[in-house]
Amino acid sequence: MISFIIRRLALSVVLLFIISIISFFIVTLTPGSPYPWGELNPKISAEVKANFRKKFHLDRPLHEQYALIMRDLFTGNLRSIKDDRPVISRILERLPATVALNLTAIVISLSFGTLLGVYAARYNGHWQDALGSFIAFLFIALPGFWITYMVVIALVKGFGVPILGTHSYGIEFPNSFASGLDTLWHLLLPATILALGGIASQSRYLRATMIESLREDYIRTARSKGLSEEIVLYKHALRNSIRPIIAGIGMVLPALIGGAVVIETIFAYPGMGRLGYEAVLERDYPTLVALNFVVAALVLLGNLISDLLSAAVDPRVRLE
Amino acid sequence: MRSIRLFLYGIPITLILLLVGAFVNASFLSVAKKNEMSIGTIGEPSTLNPIQQADSASGQVAGLMFNGLLKYNQDLELVGDLATTWDLSQETTFQFGSDEEAKKADATLHGICWFVPLKTTLAGKLLIIQLEEPGLKQSDELKKILLEKDLHPLPFPTLEKGGKERPFKAEPIIRFTLRKDIRWHDGVPFTSADVAFTYHAIMDARVASPRSSDFELISSLQTPDPYSVVVHYKKPFSPALLSWMQSVLPSHLLEKVEPAKWSEIYNRHPIGTGPFKFGTWKTNEFIRLIKNPDYFRGSPWLDSVVFRVLPDPLTLQLAFQTKQVDFWAVDPWAVKSFEKDKRFDLFSSAGNMYNYIGWNLRRPMFQDLRVRKALAEAVNIPQMIKYIIYGHGVQSNGIFTPKMWFYDPKIQPLPYDPKAAAALLDEAGWKPGPDGIRMKDGKRLSFTLLANNGNEVRRDIATLVQDDLKKIGVEVKVEIYEWSVLLKRFVNKGEFDAIVLGWGLGNDFDQYAIWHSSQTHPEELNFVGYNNTEVDHLLTDLRQEYSRPEIIRLAAKLQKTIYEDQPYTFLFVPEGTSVMWKNSYRIRRPGSKPGEWIDSPVTMTKAGWDYDMEWFYRPEYTPKIPATQTIK
Amino acid sequence: MQGVTTSSSESPSFRVLRRFRSNPVAIISVMVIVFFALIAGGSLLLSATGHDWPCDPNLTNLELKLLPPSPQHWLGTDNLGRDVLSRMMHGASISLTVGLIAVAVSLGIGMVVGAIAGYFGGIIDQILMRAVDALLCFPTFFLILTVVALLGPSLLNIVIVIGLVSWTGTARLVRSEFLTLRETEYVKGARVLGQNAWHIITRHILPNAAAPILVTAVLGIPDAILQEAGLSFLGFGVQPPQATWGNIIADGKTYLLDAWWLNLFPGLAILIASLSFYLAGDALREAAESRS
Repeated sequence: MISFIIRRLALSVVLLFIISIISFFIVTLTPGSPYPWGELNPKISAEVKANFRKKFHLDRPLHEQYALIMRDLFTGNLRSIKDDRPVISRILERLPATVALNLTAIVISLSFGTLLGVYAARYNGHWQDALGSFIAFLFIALPGFWITYMVVIALVKGFGVPILGTHSYGIEFPNSFASGLDTLWHLLLPATILALGGIASQSRYLRATMIESLREDYIRTARSKGLSEEIVLYKHALRNSIRPIIAGIGMVLPALIGGAVVIETIFAYPGMGRLGYEAVLERDYPTLVALNFVVAALVLLGNLISDLLSAAVDPRVRLE
Repeated sequence: MRSIRLFLYGIPITLILLLVGAFVNASFLSVAKKNEMSIGTIGEPSTLNPIQQADSASGQVAGLMFNGLLKYNQDLELVGDLATTWDLSQETTFQFGSDEEAKKADATLHGICWFVPLKTTLAGKLLIIQLEEPGLKQSDELKKILLEKDLHPLPFPTLEKGGKERPFKAEPIIRFTLRKDIRWHDGVPFTSADVAFTYHAIMDARVASPRSSDFELISSLQTPDPYSVVVHYKKPFSPALLSWMQSVLPSHLLEKVEPAKWSEIYNRHPIGTGPFKFGTWKTNEFIRLIKNPDYFRGSPWLDSVVFRVLPDPLTLQLAFQTKQVDFWAVDPWAVKSFEKDKRFDLFSSAGNMYNYIGWNLRRPMFQDLRVRKALAEAVNIPQMIKYIIYGHGVQSNGIFTPKMWFYDPKIQPLPYDPKAAAALLDEAGWKPGPDGIRMKDGKRLSFTLLANNGNEVRRDIATLVQDDLKKIGVEVKVEIYEWSVLLKRFVNKGEFDAIVLGWGLGNDFDQYAIWHSSQTHPEELNFVGYNNTEVDHLLTDLRQEYSRPEIIRLAAKLQKTIYEDQPYTFLFVPEGTSVMWKNSYRIRRPGSKPGEWIDSPVTMTKAGWDYDMEWFYRPEYTPKIPATQTIK
Repeated sequence: MQGVTTSSSESPSFRVLRRFRSNPVAIISVMVIVFFALIAGGSLLLSATGHDWPCDPNLTNLELKLLPPSPQHWLGTDNLGRDVLSRMMHGASISLTVGLIAVAVSLGIGMVVGAIAGYFGGIIDQILMRAVDALLCFPTFFLILTVVALLGPSLLNIVIVIGLVSWTGTARLVRSEFLTLRETEYVKGARVLGQNAWHIITRHILPNAAAPILVTAVLGIPDAILQEAGLSFLGFGVQPPQATWGNIIADGKTYLLDAWWLNLFPGLAILIASLSFYLAGDALREAAESRS
């Protein structure tokens, strides 16, 4: 067990190193270069531009730039080209909003997805199952930004409801309950749209595993013993099918901070996805490299946790 | 069993209830608005340090927290802000071969110019003359007088590399007197030391200030007492006065700190002198400023101003529709529907930017003036104005826009005339080829037109130009690139055929960087490679000229010469229109006499609708001080 | 997992087809897909012969700017006065091409990598699967954004990039199929008879792994279409004047609150086409998997 963890960690370090190199070169080889002065500005002299390049080591050869970026990343001195602040604090300040949004989305997709999946599995082969499948695929097939736009049009044109950011602005709330609900509204709306795809995949996944386990021998035994259909369904089949989901929780980590570019942009939500998207547009190399690095590290960590968890919940899995 | 069911159904039901509850709450929220103004910005400010910022979002926010020595009034004329008065003068120095000759020259000048009290100083071989008006004209005349009397001043070495020797040194001086009643937001009095510090900081290479080019010609800056500042320039440079609108930084907070540390201790929570103080900044969400009750012109009426970062134009519109921001710069296509709608107030004014197509004059096909003229005449600009900006704008007639005081309205823009264009192309030797595209010496009249993505107006222009030029047998390929790619790959290197761009340069007549033939190197802004000796002279003269009528004369000549050369096809100047919910704000500002308060609705001024933001108020929170005069 | 031995006289592919045909959802989905394919092919043919119908998708006419649906323009016009119906018909061919080629690219890479890893196993398998892990560590969307920025947003580049980032799933699937099939009696038998690897893979393993691979292919098409739409939204998609369903919506987003037809119709087209592919793919999977 311990040696497994150590070996996996060592492998992860090697992987991370390779990933950091690849991501650095992809990022810096992208055409265009940082230009933090907006539109063309006659007041910016060549000297200012040279100073700027020197400050962010953009005048050095690429391999030196890579070494400097990695050094700064690990000493915590890596600064964003956009606002000259430490990249770490730029990432950290997005964390609460991003985690809140994605965690809510995960809760929504797990709970609704499970319900839909159980329903479909229970009525496997009947019209209810077909309907469940249809809904699930409908959710997957919805283009994210399109459905967001349709919802936005309906809410803004129909009701004039504020929907942007993390809370309403310029309003005196009568009490903290109202202001709390307001914050919740600004969280639940984007999270629900974000969760549509998750609901679908969770329900499809659960349906498949439940149908599988409903065919297992012990379920037949349970049924033949005369246990009610509900008990069979919930107590045995569902519990069994939920195991892999628990094991998969590790994989949730990267999603938690990965961000959702499109939804964050439309809802002006201050999350990680927008940070990355804006960094791509601004050619903010330090931020991009750090972001890729953190997400990759989390994916690897998530993998590891998933493996450990599945070993913990399922005695048949052995770590080697 | 029951617990499983509880989870299975309970969580989704709770979530649905919460969503419905939150929605009901959001739609019935009390409309009791805070005494706060909410403004949407597309970009996130990069820094609030006014000497390090170059983006407009940063400038907009910092503008409420800082003051410069000078500012524009609402008609875009220069008035004092931190300074009460300023005056211009000049020291002209002649150098002679000997002390005697200098003395003789001094006596001669005093003898001839007896009608003006001439202040002169003798310093060995140098004769220093104090003039009341900066510029070269008076000094040139003095030199002429000296030459007539057979006195020959020795030349001074040149200032620029490869420049000409100067017959005399002309060193303009600006003297500022500062207000004495100003305190920084932390209570420390504002003095001339702050001005001196700001100047030195801008010139400090470690600060990497994008403003340094404005201050390079200063030879020295003195502070004889806490409320005066004297600035000496190396040579006449008339745009320099405008540079004193630059916001001033507090020396007591920054002087002893390494500029590298400023981003931590100052740039994200600055201390200024302006009507609003820094409050909070949540990245990618909002910046809130709160009122400064000790502002030297009086406390603002609003409690706070919040700038919301709303990343795309659509979001901004949505925020305005749901009353989450108070103002919106309306897209041209939407103006009509807002004009009809009684719920809104609209204010429009002529814009200060123009759109153009830049022709790369390094390309042989664009070197022929007839071709450039033909292209300009073949582009249907009136139609562009009608359909791209819905008639909210005027055709451009050159490098200046109607709002500027040196703009020449008399220049006639080229008409839309495809027949004349075709004739011009025939004359230039471009004859229709087998595929309908014109040819000359085996080459097709075909080129690539670039624009940047994310800018709808420019993209639409490119598409229309493509259509219009096809009609006279010119093939245009449109390519759209991201802004940073466009700059690095094409503009900076000068490697493109044609490009759709716009210039919005404020009220500055100095366009040396854009049109002078010395500015055509990589990364410089004369990226079309324009080269005209007459224009070069005009540009140099203009930036040394201080007299207003003379500037107007030179600027008109410059505008005309460049327009006749058509290095760009000058397209149109869009109007700026802003909209707010009806009567959501009014203005009550002090009149010219003490105790006088004038109440008026928000109107568009030359300086924009947001001029004098400290005097904006919401009618729900009418100021306690009554108005002596009300304008409907 | 589908069985590899056939007990009945029916061939496995025929049996799958029979079951697929008896599923009404599958039939409808396939009909919808054929409908879109006909439109796409038809508009391509028409424009190749110079007879655009209803009109030239790139013909701008500013006087007809932002018109709502009417008898002249069934689905309205966009901000440059172009006919939305014509653009959508052209968009159909481009969007479907994006889906097909991206899937072809990802299947090609995925099958080769998966087959090599699964068939040979051992150290080769280890190296290839770690490479897959590494690729999965990148946030896909940023990877696409940067690579598109690197190569330039042409139709071909976008298709290739989408294919390049989506092959990992196929590779894993093919690998696991291979791992299982490798151990079956007849593959072992073929090995003993001294047949070479290429022969075994193409004759014995691939035909048996065909159904699940086909399913991933069908399910991959709508994924690619949706990816392209998302890229278009951010301005990194196929560039104008070429129309795709995604960039019609993206170009119309400024006018969203007033010109709903620029958003609704292309969105519905994406939705219906993707949904049909998903349902068809799912039906195919069911048909291949069920044991009766």
